[in-house]
Amino acid sequence: MTQQDIAIQGEPVTDAMCRFTVDRPVYPGKAFFFGNEEQAEGSAFAERMFAIPGVKSVLVSDSQVTVHKTGTAEWPVIGKQIGNAIREFLGSGESVVADDVLQNMPSADTIREGVQRVIDEDINPSVAGHGGVVRLIDVVDNVVYIQMGGGCQGCGQADVTLKYGIETSIRGAVAGVGEILDVTDHASGRNPYYVPSKK
Amino acid sequence: MPRVLLLLPTATFRTDAFVAAAENLGVEVTVGSERRNSLAGLNPTGLLTLDFEHPDRAARQAAAFAAEHPIDAVIAVDDQVVLAGAAICQTLGLRHNSLESVMVARDKHRMRHRLRDANVPQPEFTLARFGGDVAACAERVGFPCVVKPLGLAGSKGVIRADDARQLLAAVERLKRILADETERAGDQPTPAAERQTCANTPATDELSFLIEQFVDGPEVALEGILRDGQLEVLAVFDKPDPLDGPFFEETIYVTPSRLPTDTQRQISLRTQQATQALGLTEGPIHAELRNTAAGPVIIEVNARSIGGKCSRVLKFGTGWSLEELIICQALDVDTAWPSRQSQPAGVMMIPTPAAGVLREVRGLADAEDVAGIESVDIVAHSGQFLIPLPEGSIYLGFILARAQTVDRVESALRAAHGRLEFVIEPTSDASCASAVSATESETRATQSVCQSSDGIQQ
Repeated sequence: MTQQDIAIQGEPVTDAMCRFTVDRPVYPGKAFFFGNEEQAEGSAFAERMFAIPGVKSVLVSDSQVTVHKTGTAEWPVIGKQIGNAIREFLGSGESVVADDVLQNMPSADTIREGVQRVIDEDINPSVAGHGGVVRLIDVVDNVVYIQMGGGCQGCGQADVTLKYGIETSIRGAVAGVGEILDVTDHASGRNPYYVPSKK
Repeated sequence: MPRVLLLLPTATFRTDAFVAAAENLGVEVTVGSERRNSLAGLNPTGLLTLDFEHPDRAARQAAAFAAEHPIDAVIAVDDQVVLAGAAICQTLGLRHNSLESVMVARDKHRMRHRLRDANVPQPEFTLARFGGDVAACAERVGFPCVVKPLGLAGSKGVIRADDARQLLAAVERLKRILADETERAGDQPTPAAERQTCANTPATDELSFLIEQFVDGPEVALEGILRDGQLEVLAVFDKPDPLDGPFFEETIYVTPSRLPTDTQRQISLRTQQATQALGLTEGPIHAELRNTAAGPVIIEVNARSIGGKCSRVLKFGTGWSLEELIICQALDVDTAWPSRQSQPAGVMMIPTPAAGVLREVRGLADAEDVAGIESVDIVAHSGQFLIPLPEGSIYLGFILARAQTVDRVESALRAAHGRLEFVIEPTSDASCASAVSATESETRATQSVCQSSDGIQQ
C-alpha cells in the first residue's frame, strides 16, 4: 500500500468545518476531539494536523476526520495538506492519541457521570423555565452527544443556549470533555420558546 | 483575545450565522439579548440581558459589564437593536455610526427628509395622521401610492392604493396593524428622558404614517459595508418577482445582478449618496432601490445586514461569510475585503400563502433534489399560527441555490418552491379574521389629518 492508494473525500459541513472521510479507519471504533494545539501535544496524529496553519480543532472518529479552521485559512490550500497529513500518519504506524493522554484522561463513564450531573443539577432546572429540557444521549471517548427538547427544540436562541450556556457549564465542571455535539432535530420542534420573525 | 458583544434579539433569524462567524474567527463572545437567557446564571460573562427598548439604559448596562470585561466591538445584528448598538458604542467609545444617523435610518419619515435635503432621488412622500384627511395627503404624491408605517420592517403594513377608496381601506388596515403591534409590545411608552436622548424625532409614533408615491420599475437590493464613510459594495441583488403590490412580499433575490454594469454602478453611487446623506459611516448596510427609467431611486437604506437567513447566499474569497466580514470590520481588522465568489447564487424567502395553523410541509426531499438547490430550510414549525402580509411577519423558510447562470438559479428556486406543499388549517379565530380583512364600511368611516412633507401640522 502506498500513501497515494488511500482515498480521502472532503465534504464541507459549514464554511469553517470540513469532514474528511478516509477509505479506512484512522482511529478504529473510537473518537477523540483535540480542541487546540496544547491538547495535541504528544499525540502524533494531532500534532501533524495542528502543524498545518489555520487548523483550529480536530475530531477524529473511526474513518472520519472533522477539521474546524480559522477564518483566514483557505480550504483549497489546507485541504490538500490535511489529506497529506492523514496519509502520512496512516503510513507511520503511530497512535492517534498519546498513551499518557489516554491514561490521564477521564474514562467515558466518568465524563458521562459528570455531564449528567451538570445537566440534572444546573442546566435542566434552568431551561425548565422555558419548557425546555436537555438530554445526554451518549459519550464516546471524550465526545459528548446531547439533545435538546421541549421549548429548546427549534428555539431561535438554541445556538446561544448551546454554545454559551450548555457548553460553558459542562466544560467548566467536567474535565476531559472534547467536542459537544447537538444531535437535536430542531426542524421538528413543535413548541420552540423563541420563534424568529422578520421584525 | 478580543471580546465581541453580539446584540441578538431573541426573535432574530440571524443568531446561528453570527454565532458561527464569531466562533470561526476565534473571538470571545458575549451575547446580549432583551430577555434573560435561561442559562445566564451559569455563564454571566457570556450571556447578558440588555434593555433594547431603551438604548440609553442598554448602554449603561453594557458599560457596567465592560468595566469588568472590556468589549472591543459591538455587532447589532437586526433592525430592533441598531439603536442600542449605536448607543452602546457611543458610551464605550467604539467606532460606529452616530446615534443620530441610526435614528434617522430607522425612521422612514426622517430618512425621507434627509434624502430630500441632499437631493437623493426617492419617491415623493407626505406624512399623514390617522383620523385626518387622507385623500388630501394623497393628492400631494398622486396615485398609485403606498401607505407605509414609520418603523416596521419586512414590508409589514406596506400597502399600495390605486385610488381614494383603496387608500382609505389601506389606512384602516395599517391602523389595525399598528394597534396590534402596540398591544403586543405591552403598550409601554418610552420614558420622556429616554425619548429626548434617543428618539428625538417628530411624530414617529403609532399615530402617523407615510404616504409615498409608487415608483414603477424593478427592485434591487444592495449589500455593503461602510468603513470611514466609504461604501464597499459586496453584492447587488435582482428581485425578479415584480413588487407591484398591493402588498410587497419579498421572495427571490439573485446575484450577480443581470442589470447592465453601468446601471449597477449608478445603483452603487446612489446608495453611497444616500448613506452620506443619512450620516452613516460604519458597518453593514442593506439598501433597497427601484431602477426607474430615470435611474435608480432609493426606497430605503438600513444600517444592518441583509435579514432572514439570506446572507448564506453570500460567500467571499475562500469561503468567508458576510458575518465574518462584519465582525472583522467592527474589530477594525486591517484587511482588504475578499470579493464575492463569482458563482451565481440566490435565495427565496418562502412566502406565507394563507392565514391559519401550519400542520405539515410536504415535498421537502423533492425540493432538495432540484438541480442547483443547496438547501431548503423550513423555519416555521408545525402548529405555528401563520399570518400573511401585510399583517404577518413570518417566513416559512429559505431556499438557497447556486448554479452556472443567474437564470438557472432563479429557475431552480422556483422549481423547488413549486414542489413544496404547505398544509395550513384555516382558523376560526375571530381576531385573526378581523386582522386579515377590512370592510369597506369601516374604511369609508376613516378620517385623517395630513401633514405636509415639510413638517408636522399641529
